[in-house]
This record gives sequence, C-alpha cells and structure tokens, in this order.
Amino acid sequence: MKVVLGLSLVVTSVVAIAFTVGTATAAPAEKQDTSLTGAGATFPYPLISKWIPAVGSAYGINVNYSPIGSGGGIAAITARTVDFGASDAPLSKDQLDACKGCVVIPWALSAISIPYNLPGIKCVLRLTPNVLSRIYLGEITNWNDPNIAKNNGTCGLPDLKITPVYRSDNSGSTYAFTDYLSNVSGTWKSKAGTGVNAQWPAGVGARGSSGVAGVVTKTPGALTYVDIAYSLQNKLRVGWVLNKSGKFTSPGLRGIQASASVLPKKITSFDQLKLVDPPKNAGALAYPISTFTYVIAPTSASKSADLRKFIYWAVTRGQTYGKPLLFQPLPLQVQAFAFREIKKIKS
Amino acid sequence: MSIITPDPVAPDAIERHGIRLGDVLFKGVALVAAVGVAAILGLLAYKVFALAWPAMQEYGFSFIWTEGWNPNANVYGALVFIYGTVVTAFIALLLATPLSIAIALFLTEIAPRRLAAPVATMVELLAAIPSVVLGLWGILVFGPWVAQHLEPWLQSWFGFLPIFSGDPSQAGMLPAALVLTIMIIPITSAICRELFSRVPRDLSDGSLALGSTRWEAIRRVAIPYAAPGISAAVLLGLGRAFGEAIAVTQVIGSGNTINRSLFPPADTLASRIASTYQGASSDLEVNSLLYLGAILLVISLVTNVSAQVIVNRFQKARRMSTG
Repeated sequence: MKVVLGLSLVVTSVVAIAFTVGTATAAPAEKQDTSLTGAGATFPYPLISKWIPAVGSAYGINVNYSPIGSGGGIAAITARTVDFGASDAPLSKDQLDACKGCVVIPWALSAISIPYNLPGIKCVLRLTPNVLSRIYLGEITNWNDPNIAKNNGTCGLPDLKITPVYRSDNSGSTYAFTDYLSNVSGTWKSKAGTGVNAQWPAGVGARGSSGVAGVVTKTPGALTYVDIAYSLQNKLRVGWVLNKSGKFTSPGLRGIQASASVLPKKITSFDQLKLVDPPKNAGALAYPISTFTYVIAPTSASKSADLRKFIYWAVTRGQTYGKPLLFQPLPLQVQAFAFREIKKIKS
Repeated sequence: MSIITPDPVAPDAIERHGIRLGDVLFKGVALVAAVGVAAILGLLAYKVFALAWPAMQEYGFSFIWTEGWNPNANVYGALVFIYGTVVTAFIALLLATPLSIAIALFLTEIAPRRLAAPVATMVELLAAIPSVVLGLWGILVFGPWVAQHLEPWLQSWFGFLPIFSGDPSQAGMLPAALVLTIMIIPITSAICRELFSRVPRDLSDGSLALGSTRWEAIRRVAIPYAAPGISAAVLLGLGRAFGEAIAVTQVIGSGNTINRSLFPPADTLASRIASTYQGASSDLEVNSLLYLGAILLVISLVTNVSAQVIVNRFQKARRMSTG
C-alpha cells in the first residue's frame, strides 16, 4: 500500500504541476492563413466594422475584432492571444518592453467629445480650457459659476451641481483627455498628469465608454469625455471647446483636419503624433482634443504576411470609410510613417 | 509490491483484484483532489506575493497606510482601498445579518409551509443573479434611486451625522454597500434557515410549554442554539463582501480619497484591481496592484481563520453548558 500511496502522490504532483504550467504549454493556435484576430480599443471599432467586409472581399482575409478596451488589447497582444492589438494611447516604455518586438502604427484619427446632461438647456455649451480643467480639478462645482456664464451668458445655466465623470478603467480616451488637460493647466499637470488613468481630484468614475455615457444620461448636471463616434451613435449632446485662435469649435472633420495640419512635415516616432491643444497657426477651426488611435502588431508572427496586407489596406483604402463616422483620413506624413513601420513586420 | 502479489488464500483472485483496483483509483482521485486544491492555494499565494515583491521592496509596509494612487507620478498607497473595503463590507454585514436572521426565522417559525417554500426559493434565486447584472441594475436603476431619494431622505433626518453629509451621488460607498447587502443576504439567510430548522423541536416545544411566548422561545432557545452557525454564516458573507469586484466596480465610482461621508465615490481593493489591472502603464503599477491583491488575500485568510476559531469556541462553550 505504501507503494500505491507513493504512486498516487507522484500522480498528484504531476497533475498539480500540469495545472500550474498548463497555460504556458497550451497547444499553438491552429494555422489558418485567411483569418486575423484582433482586440483592443472601442474607439476605432465603428470604423473597423466597416473595414471587415471590405478587406474580406478585397483579399479574402477574414478579420475578427473584439472591442474590449485599449488596456485589454495591449494585454492580449503582449500575451500573443490575438494577431493584432489596438490602443488609443501609444504604448509606454514598460508596455513596449513587455510586448517584445511590437510595432505601434497609427491607423485612424478622430476626436474626443465632451457630452453633457443639462435638461432644458437649448443652446450648445461653450467650454474654455480653463473651465474644463477646473471642473475636473473640482474647483468649479456649479453650472451657475460666473466663469461658465461668461461664454454661455444667454443660455440661463441652472443652479446645479456639476458632476465630472471619468473612466475608472485604463483608457486611451483618458490618455488623450488628460494630455489635453495637462497642456492647458499647470495645476492639472502637477496634480494628476497625463496617462491612461489618473488620480482624479473630483467626480465619479465609471467603466468603459458605455459606463460613463450611462452615468451622464442618468445624472442631470454631469459631463464627461468620450470619442465622437460614440457620442454620435448614442445621440449625446456635445460641447464646443475653445481653441488657441479664440474660437469655440465642434469635434467635426474639419476641426480634426485643422488640428492635424500642424504636425511636423516628417514623422519619425510616435512621440511626435500629439494633436491636443494645437498652436494658433492650426487655424480658427481646429478642435483641440483630437487623437490618433493605433494598431499594435508583432514584428514576427506566423500570419505576418496577412497582417501587413491588412494594416497597409487600413491606412490607405481603409481611410476612405472614415468620414461618415467622423474619422478624418490620416495626413500624408503620418501615412508615410505608418508605411515605414509596416515594413518592420517581417513575413 | 503487495498489489501484484496474488493472495494465495483468495478463491477468486480476479474479482479481488478488480475491487482493489477500484479502491486504489478512488483513493488516488480523492487524494489528487484534496492535495491539488491545497497546492493551487499555495502556488496562488506564492505567485501573488512574488509578483507584488518589487512593490513591497519599493514601498515597504508604508504602502498600507499611504493615501493616494497616482499612476502618472508613480505614487501608490493602499489606505483608500482598505478603508473602502472594510467600510462597505461592515455596512453590508450590519444590514444583512439582522435581515437574514429575520428571513430565516420567518421561513422556519412563522410562515405557513405553503408560503415558506416559494419565498425560500426566491431568496435563494437572488444568489443566482450574476454580479455583473446586479451591477448594471446598480448603475441604471438603484444608483439613481439612492441619489434622488434615499440619500436626501437620510440627510433630512440624520444630516447631523458626518456619514450622511455632503452631496448625494449615484455612485459611491453607500450604493456599493447596499448592493453587497443584496448579494450576501441569500448566502447568510440560507445558512440561518438551515440552522433554525435544526433546532430540536422538543427544546422549543418545551420552552413554549413552560409558558414562554413565541418570541421568548426564539430568543432564548432557537437563537442561542444557532449562534455558532450564525457567526460562521456572517463571516462567510464577509468573505463574499471583501472579494466582490465587478458589481462594486460598477457602483462605487472609483474614488481616490477617504471621505467621512458615505455619499461620495470610494473604491475597494478588489474593485481597483479589477478596473485598472488591464493595460496598467508601468511594471510598478502592476506590482502595486498585486500588492493590493496580497493585502486582500491576507485580510480574507485572517477573517476565515477567525471564523473557524469563533465557531470552535462557541461549540466548546455550548458543550460545556449542555454537557
């Protein structure tokens, strides 16, 4: 019997070890040359869902995309459980190191809108950078504040508490928005900074674009930030934001295009792809909270050839599908940068 | 070698062998199951602590009492989340314990059998609601109701208490604690019902025969008899309240500060891990999140062990008094 016990102990430990290392030795995904799986940001999802049938008929590549959020996309491509990831925020140094041989390629361009819930107010809310940052810092707390009234004098804004709403999960939209706030407010920069999340000094957090939009629609006096395609789909009322030329602008295609007009003539790294708070020479139309969104691809993988084809198609032909969804086609120098990065994907 | 050597006395060696194989297999499977669970727990704890180690080295124990979580300045501290975890769980237990005991007593002592069975099923079905659905209900229905009706009402009557001061908010400590209450009631009430149904009939009958009222019989006989079990049920509920992540994340509002009031957004250990682990921007943030996980693990283990100790002590005391 001792032998039996010994034997079963061996079996047990083998099973226990198998449990713990099981994930690492899982069988590789089956090879199917005509399909690509991706996961990541919700921001480009409306555009990608237009791309999927088109790229399917052009190349016979069957693309699947799960909009699980930028953070999830980065985690998935780092673990190589998908063929490509997507993120609205460029990868941090630690994230790039962890991803081991990944390229980050800009593949869409759009804007972050500021939806709000002010029942009975007919006119469009006009927001200055000062007001927006001080709302999120918790310094302006009521809609009847004189700083807001200065630019919305005739609207008759109510005596109502302002509830700024932010994303509780890590998000590329948060990155673009906090980048903007850090640019326009020194206090914000030192207190909270730029990142996919922050130590929010005021307001309420909610999970995902749908979460923040849900809180805004349920809370009179709330405002938040979410990509313009989402606001459009869900018919949220969005505010106009003051740019450096002293004009209040809406998050439309011309506003995004004007913001992108001041990018350097040659792009060599994605650090140069900052669009928030563009200088005065961007023009009167420039909407100040625009952002690129990125695809993350491994430089070597079994499906590299298809992946290159797909991403190349996305940054060229794919751009023409964007306008109805308020995605501005990539500027030429950004497209050229994307081409150079695509070349790094070895097949 | 004993298994292969045929027993010379056995008349039917093949049959004996078959039976022995079954025994051996059963023993093996049972052992694998038992040792496997223990091994997984051990390995899991090891992995959590190993991944949290860089943050432990960086911040030491001061992490536990540091208030602040700023991923953009690499400032991490657990105090806000420990506070949120303890306060939400405490409120949830404070509300769920008397309610669960009342539900259980109603079902075993008061309600007619025809009513008791469907009500018991309904209460248990409450446990079958996925927490993410409960969380959605929290966002869309319950949170706004709390902000528009419950919190203003609390403020108008008990506004002098600092815990009910400030502006009502649809996401915060109070709605999270109430959602947790709803989640632990089915667990604790089901156990309490089981306990009360096992109170020996002759004990309560005897108490009634001696002239006590029904309430006195419940208070003097049923509750003392079930007390150790009730305390275990409460601690089981506490474990649930500590660890719940998704529903809490959806209604607590991911706050970054400690407030005296229960209205503003707060956060718990489990909910902060659930909401920010994916896509954490630096390695140190990942390590710090696992440090939070290690703290949660320790808190949960301590409550479970103390539950065992309390139950044992109660049982010993009862044996002393009855025997």
